[in-house]
Amino acid sequence: MSVSNTLLAVFEDIEPAADGIHKLHELGVADENMNVISGIPIRPAILERPSAVTRVGQIALAGAFLGLLLAVFFVWGIPYLFPLDAGGQPVYPWPQLLIIIFEMTMLGLMGFAFLGMLVDSGFPSYTPKEYVPDISDGRIAVLFSCPKDEQKKFVDALTKLGAKSVEPAEARQL
Amino acid sequence: MSAIAKALPRLRPEEMEDPKEHLMHDPMPRGDMNTMVLDSMHTATWKYWTVVTILAFIVVTCLGYAWYYLIMQGLGVSGDDRPVYWGVFLVNFVYWIGISHSGTLTSAILRVLKIESRRPFTRVAELMTAFAIVNAGLSVFMHMGRVWLAYWMIPYPNERTIWPDFHSPLMWDFMAITTYLICSSLYLFLPLIPDLAMVRDRSKGWVKTFYKILAIGFRGTEGEWKNLHLAMNIFAFAIIPVAFSVHTIVAWDFAMAIRPGWSSSVFGPYFVSGALLSGVAAVPIVLFLVRSTMKNMKYFLRPEHFDTVGKMLLIISMIWAYFYFNDYIVSWYGGDKWEKILNLFVQTGPQWWLWYLMLFCNIVVPWSILWRKKWRQTPWLMALVGILINVGMYTERYIIVPEMLTINRMPFTWHSYIPRVEIILTIGTFALFLLLYFAASRILPLIPAWEVQEGQEGHILRKIGKARIPTISEID
Repeated sequence: MSVSNTLLAVFEDIEPAADGIHKLHELGVADENMNVISGIPIRPAILERPSAVTRVGQIALAGAFLGLLLAVFFVWGIPYLFPLDAGGQPVYPWPQLLIIIFEMTMLGLMGFAFLGMLVDSGFPSYTPKEYVPDISDGRIAVLFSCPKDEQKKFVDALTKLGAKSVEPAEARQL
Repeated sequence: MSAIAKALPRLRPEEMEDPKEHLMHDPMPRGDMNTMVLDSMHTATWKYWTVVTILAFIVVTCLGYAWYYLIMQGLGVSGDDRPVYWGVFLVNFVYWIGISHSGTLTSAILRVLKIESRRPFTRVAELMTAFAIVNAGLSVFMHMGRVWLAYWMIPYPNERTIWPDFHSPLMWDFMAITTYLICSSLYLFLPLIPDLAMVRDRSKGWVKTFYKILAIGFRGTEGEWKNLHLAMNIFAFAIIPVAFSVHTIVAWDFAMAIRPGWSSSVFGPYFVSGALLSGVAAVPIVLFLVRSTMKNMKYFLRPEHFDTVGKMLLIISMIWAYFYFNDYIVSWYGGDKWEKILNLFVQTGPQWWLWYLMLFCNIVVPWSILWRKKWRQTPWLMALVGILINVGMYTERYIIVPEMLTINRMPFTWHSYIPRVEIILTIGTFALFLLLYFAASRILPLIPAWEVQEGQEGHILRKIGKARIPTISEID
């Protein structure tokens, strides 16, 4: 098994980037050994890439459930610990409890959607990473692994398709 | 054939719409656009610092010192007195909660409906939500008097076994506003992350370190975009019912009390429509200010955006009028003695002009101006309409709170309310709102550059026959 090298190819625009990724597929680079970094979101189909897997939805749903549980504690647990007679209403009045349950569930849903985004993306992270600042100005970078002894073949192929640079990926401080 | 051609009026070439008038069809290189956004953040004239200094002075004196005075002297220095225990502080609270609907809710609705013209101004609006909720919270604390006991609202075990009473609408309000504040702040931050990363990439020294921390390590990988998009979508859908619930619960603070003028089953949707009206009306004011005072903003904030807000305002104004009339006709037709007296008091009492001012600003102004596209596309006129509608909506809240509290079922307690220290504090809250906005304009990119660039990527001009027709592809 040959040693692999990680390269970072930078393209000016979407079209050459899509061609470059197609070429990488032809050269045998699997999708899981590739990542695209861009300044705006690009639909995976445009670049012939599979859709990224995300767990944000599941984490958000778990948060909604936790919020619901907390609300249940508030609306049943608290009156149980300290029952209040308010205006002749029952200690556990359903219509009012639904309001608290709704608010806490939504807070859990959205709070955990945010946390899910952080956790699934590995944020916050301040360690060095493969990146070039030009990306936020519109460049598209393709990060991929290839066998070290075939590196030149990959560099030549991508340069021919319009890559501005194809260099060994170097982790740097963002 | 010639008769048909004669009958159809033709536009002169100069009257035909240039597709380039639309931001989405007038793209520029992303690097240049990023530079423009950064320039707008970093260019501060002496006028800016003068205004900021004046605002800071007003905040320190009118908010800081006046609140200190209120705390030290007690609520007796306010105009609150029997039977009007809810005065301008509560008016301000309802008003600022209404303004908070300008950003997050408007942005969420436009995002869910995929209204493309939303792209450059969502953040300008979302920032208003955050600052307005801060002011709403401050208004409640002012009204509390003993503000240091605010933590009693938080449910936690304590030695005196004092727990919040979840039977109370005020407690529902606390829960709803806390939820809305947290979620709105997160919803503001999510789409900011890529722009903060852009600013990080173009900064140096301690400024770079500052934005590096805020950008939380965002690079723009496929996974990061996917997670960000999904989180933003969850927020956009989930925050709409939360925003509705917030102002409905604010309405219930009033409607749950069995008293003339307040006890109404349409108060919830009526308040929501009012919040939307004042909130959306605040958007053109801020858009106009940002566009006129900040560099490069004329490229991003165009007449088409004022047009979009104008159409929304016209529709919301009609909805507000519908609910107001619903509320009014039922109490009028019901013939209840106290409702009759209250209606007469509001319309012919010492402050009768407030009622007419409200109807003029909320109905006459938008209905007579916003039907015409040319006027909707005139920024200064839209800002003026926004100011007048906000005057109308503030007046409406003033009528609902202290005016309606003046009349009750015990005539011997009737007593007119005259605000005192509240006026100074109100000026302070408005100054604080503007000051926070001015400060934010130097720290945060007010234009979501990546969203504009994403939109421009998906828009094309198709040639059909002899015309170039704007077209949008499905990009998200």
